[in-house]
Parts: sequence; structure tokens; C-alpha cells
Amino acid sequence: MNLQRTMALLKLELKKMIRDPTFLFSLILLPVILTLAFGLAMSGTSTTSNPDISIFEFMVPGIYGFTSVYIVMTVAMAFTDYRKEGLLDRMNTTPTTFGEFIGSHIITNVLISLLQVAIITVLALIFGFQIRSAGFFLAFVFIGFLSISSVGFGLISATFAKSSGAAVGVSMIFFMPQMLFGTWIPMSDATQVVAMFFPIYYSTNSIQMIFSGVPLTEITIWINLVVLAIYSIAIVIVGTLIFKRFGKA
Amino acid sequence: MTISEKSDLRKGSSDNIAVEIQNLNKHFDDVKAVNDLSFKINKGEIFGLLGPNGAGKTTTIKMMIGLLKPTSGEIYVGGYNVRKDLNKIKELIGVCPQHAAIYKFLSGRENIELYGNLHAVDKKVLKERTNELLEAVDFTKQSKRKAKKYSGGMLRQINMLMALIGDPDILFLDEPTVGMDARVRRKTWEFIGSLKEKGKTVVLTTHYIEEAEALSDHVAIIDFGELIDLGTPKGLMEKHNVEDLEKVFLKITGRRITEGL
Repeated sequence: MNLQRTMALLKLELKKMIRDPTFLFSLILLPVILTLAFGLAMSGTSTTSNPDISIFEFMVPGIYGFTSVYIVMTVAMAFTDYRKEGLLDRMNTTPTTFGEFIGSHIITNVLISLLQVAIITVLALIFGFQIRSAGFFLAFVFIGFLSISSVGFGLISATFAKSSGAAVGVSMIFFMPQMLFGTWIPMSDATQVVAMFFPIYYSTNSIQMIFSGVPLTEITIWINLVVLAIYSIAIVIVGTLIFKRFGKA
Repeated sequence: MTISEKSDLRKGSSDNIAVEIQNLNKHFDDVKAVNDLSFKINKGEIFGLLGPNGAGKTTTIKMMIGLLKPTSGEIYVGGYNVRKDLNKIKELIGVCPQHAAIYKFLSGRENIELYGNLHAVDKKVLKERTNELLEAVDFTKQSKRKAKKYSGGMLRQINMLMALIGDPDILFLDEPTVGMDARVRRKTWEFIGSLKEKGKTVVLTTHYIEEAEALSDHVAIIDFGELIDLGTPKGLMEKHNVEDLEKVFLKITGRRITEGL
């Protein structure tokens, strides 16, 4: 992997995020709006299971997850646009490898996700969110892996979508179930089983445990992290291979 | 990549031939887009692929640069086989696609520098070369504006400079002046002509007769994916006893190149 090329592509993607109003809204303003809205509405009500924790605090891991899986859509849209505008073909005539190209997208989106976690956390503190253990920083690790899976799902969506409009529709296949089964919507035992098929479950579940004060010695947290890591890496590899084979042209 | 390593790659070409195409075919289902095409392009020449829209020029170029796989036949660029050594070929070439493939949220300068970085051009050299290229086409003033604010002609100018920033040995220009006004087109012709003086090989597709005549050392006239004649512009006109390449095409096919445009 050539460092100069990777850094140039990384800068390119970051500039796109900053300069494109669509991406700026999706990736920065959306988490701000969600946190403010839920903070105002839910911060005064305690959960039934633990009176020390507000419903809003219980929702924060879900907000992290929601903004991270939103990346499925932005990646799918970006890749379909690049393909339609001939930018992928042009890139393909340079010495840039597909690994460098996808790698830069993964790094960019992980960085954006971590920034989103930081923004949501800072805003959540205003509404009474408390950092109860040093394990809080594991949230960044979980969300980092979750964003990698989102890049993978985005690539799969972009493979089958022929326009950025269609990319939004196709990416809903991966976005909606994760939103329903892994954010702030309460789950029954049955839906919890379904949720286990999606990476966001492992992220939200563990971060909620950590934020509720469950000690880091709890093995479930670490099992979830391992499952999420394997799941995310597998999805991004599958997404890359599918896109490379069927989605570039 | 260091300069010496790049020099080694250039050893892939053993003679004076920059590009060689042998019995090239490309079929899309039952449509023969390129049909048994064979020709050679000398190092340091401007080679024009002339033909009407849909003649197979872009398909041929896309196969030369590895974006399309041939149905059959062989292509050698810089002495390397496109099927086997595409990564080595990518170090030698610059490509200006038919439709301006530019990041609209970047400025013209940023687009050029991005492609310089993708070709791993040294940072200091990159800055100097970007300035030189922009000056050469009188684009320095506008280069800091976002590309989304450029006219079609300006986008095409940046499109071409992006192909040149890696200092390629072989340049593929696919209809580079479409959408440019007459003044900018003339300026661009001068610029393309100057590339030859720098020892570059230029493969140029065009449906502009004037462009092919003004720039090309050799012209391959293509129609329905087939090579219908090949030679110097002057030689072709003398051979068919006519005054321009349009009439050469008319004499061979009974149609005008510009029909249907």
C-alpha cells in the first residue's frame, strides 16, 4: 500500500464530507439533531430497570449505532456517483490499487464515526448523560468496527444500484433492520434473536451494558466485540470482492 | 516509484513501437464493436483514431488502457501485454477520458494534484509541474475555483491536465476538445502538438477532421469497428486524390464522418 496515494485518497474523501452539504448533513448535523431531540424529550424520565439512568442515557448507544449504520447509505451513494461520473474508471487507469481505494474509504468512515461518537457524547453530557466507567472508551472501538461493516454493506448496495437514488433504496435493506433491531427500539425475546443477525446488535448491546455500569470483567462484552470484529471484517471483504467483480463498471 | 525504477519499466518496450494491436476484437452480444483491428503506433508520434460516433474508437481505447477486456486479440502498450502486465502499463500512461471525470467539489488545481499523488509524483515536483501545466493552458487564475463552477470547456482542459500530471510516456486522449470553443480548441491543439516535442506518444480519438489533420502524424480511419485505412493525413489524401480526410472517408464509405452529429 502506497502511503502517498492512500493519504491523497483520504484527504479527498474528507474534503468531500466537508464540502458536500448532503454528506455534511448526514454525517454531522444528523447526530446533532438526534441527540438534541432525544435529549430534550427523554432526559427527564428514568428507566424502569435502573432509576439512576434516564431513558435518554439508555438511548445514547443506539444513537451512536444509528449514525454509524447511516454510513451504509452515504457509501452506497458515493460509489454509485463515482461510477456514474466515470471517476472509478479513471482511478482504475492509475497505479492506485483497489485496496488503497477501499482502504481510504474505510479509514475515512471510521474517523467520521468516531467523530460522531465524540459529538453525541459531548451533547449528551448537557442532558445528564454520565460517563460511569473507564470502559466508556470501548464505545469508540465498537463503533469503529460497526462503521467498517457499514462500508461493506454500502459496497454491496452500490454493486446492485445503478444510480445514487437507487442506492438509497437498496441500502435500506441493510439500514432499516439495523435501525429497528439495534438502536433505541425495545426488543422482545423473539426480535432479539433476529437482531443477532446484524452487527449493530453486538455494538449497542455491549455499549448499553458498559454505560449501565456492568463491569468490564463481564465476558459478554468481549464476546460481542470479537463477534462484531469478525462480522465487520468479513462483510467489508465480501463487499469489496462483490463490488470489484460486479460493481465497478 | 523512483526514476530509475520507472526507467526499468520503460525497457518493456524493446523497439520503436509504443502501442501494438493485433487482430483485436470486441463483441457485445452479437454487436461487433471492434472487428479484427491491427495497427502499430510509433514512439513519439501523435496517432489519430478518426471515425464517426459509434465507430469503435472509445471501445478500442478502453481496451488499450485495460478498462475493457478484448473478446480476442492482443494489445501491447510500452512493450507490455495489457492482459498480463496492466499494473506496469498504468505506470507509463495518462488517460483523458471522453467525459470529463473530475471531482466537482475540488478545485481544478486540487484535481490535478490528486492525480499527481495517485501517480506518486514527488511533492516538490508535483507543485512545479502543476503550475507549469496550468500556465501552459492559461488556467492559473481559475485553478483555485471549485470545478462545479467551471464551464464544459474548462472542465475538459482540467480533464486533460489530470492525464498529464504523472508525466506519462504514452497519453490517451479520447475526444479531448469536444465542448471547447474555437479559441480554446486551437490553444489545446498547440498544447497537444507541444507534447510531441517532449517525446510523448499521443493516441488521440476524434471525429473532428481538422483536429486529426492538424495534429496527427498517422491516422487510422475506423468505421463500424473496422480499420478502413491507415496512413499519414497527407498520404491518405494523395492516395484517394482528395483535399481532406472527410472526403477520404466519404470516398471509402459513401458517408460523411460528421453525419448524425
